[in-house]
Amino acid sequence: MIEITFEDVCAAYGEHVIFSHLSKRVIGGHITAVTGENGSGKSTLLRLAGHLLHAQVGHVLVRVDGKEIRQSELRSHIAMVTPEMKLYDQLTARENMDFLLRLRGVALTDAMYKDCIRHVGLSEEELEGKYIGTFSTGMRQRLKLAVLFLSGADIWLLDEPGANLDAAGRGMLLQASRQAADMGRIVLIATNDNEEEAAADDTIRL
Amino acid sequence: MIPSAFEGARIVMCKELRVSFRQQAGWCAMLMFALTTLACVSLSLSGGILEPKLQAALLWVILFFSSMAGADRGFADEDMAGTLPTLRLYGASQSVLWGKVGYTFCLLLILAAFLVPLYLIFLDVMILRPLWLLAAIIVGMAGLSIAGTLLGALATGASVRGGIFTVLMLPVILPVFLPGIALTDMAFGGEGGSGSYLLGMILYDLMLGVAASLLFDYLWYDD
Repeated sequence: MIEITFEDVCAAYGEHVIFSHLSKRVIGGHITAVTGENGSGKSTLLRLAGHLLHAQVGHVLVRVDGKEIRQSELRSHIAMVTPEMKLYDQLTARENMDFLLRLRGVALTDAMYKDCIRHVGLSEEELEGKYIGTFSTGMRQRLKLAVLFLSGADIWLLDEPGANLDAAGRGMLLQASRQAADMGRIVLIATNDNEEEAAADDTIRL
Repeated sequence: MIPSAFEGARIVMCKELRVSFRQQAGWCAMLMFALTTLACVSLSLSGGILEPKLQAALLWVILFFSSMAGADRGFADEDMAGTLPTLRLYGASQSVLWGKVGYTFCLLLILAAFLVPLYLIFLDVMILRPLWLLAAIIVGMAGLSIAGTLLGALATGASVRGGIFTVLMLPVILPVFLPGIALTDMAFGGEGGSGSYLLGMILYDLMLGVAASLLFDYLWYDD
């Protein structure tokens, strides 16, 4: 089983303390919502969870079956959807997915690509031969979700994932998150959306 | 299963080449800089004959400063496009480092293939030992690409990145630069340089490679 343990973690930018003394254990099989006002540190918490940011005070430990994992081994367990993470504008949707998934050792077949694209609500025809620099924000968000779904990662770090999606897209995302949790994955969602918070099994309020 | 560092580097390098061929701005800037500098040098000499040592030094100065317009682009372009966090999450450190080094090496070899023949024609330079020139340029470009990639990664995010990069590069690359000039002098018929210079350049490249490989993990991972 995979788990993330926050041990007395404090986050600060310079003199400004964002949150302090956070201790929490997040385990696989659960959706955990991270809520709080703007600037309360929701995105920071996700980055700390993925060791994409170093905790200056306290510890963030990620364990698989009790064994701590770090660096490249940890990264291979993580997939993330956040506004800061951009895809390559000069590549097509297929090329973007192919590149990122191959770095994770996933060979993207035609069938996988078509199924996943359809699942996230995109059509093959509208993506064909187009660089993603021409895509709308919502289409890019759906493409990031497609990479997330196929990555095989068992820690999903989602920062305001429904922000650029329509109602159908948000429904698809919550359904996929529940399926991921049922498969033993950790789903951590930073959100201010009531629907996303309600779908979570647990909440971290900052 | 996560790909090996070699396979990962190949994936990153192919992506880099594909994106840069489509973007073209980086290539154009570098080649235009090389052409402009070469034209200035050629016009200012106006047919005058230089000693082989001076010819060699001029060639390497143009190569060095032209490469500064492209050798650090690997990480700077990712940073500007906002794709660096994505690459950090999905790419293993050694795959990214060597993929970027491979791409930069291709870029600099194309620069040299464009610049050197024009330099020989414009400055009317005779090559007496072409293989030594070829070896010096290949080994020199390899050193520039390793140092450029590592220092480009270090300078990414700095507000005066361009200035920092060139300032950091010069001392790091001097052990490649100076023997490169000596070997080119020898290729142009001068008396400087010998086989041991080439061996020294290769050894320094290897040292740079090992140092880059060890240091890059600290840059790439926060834990």
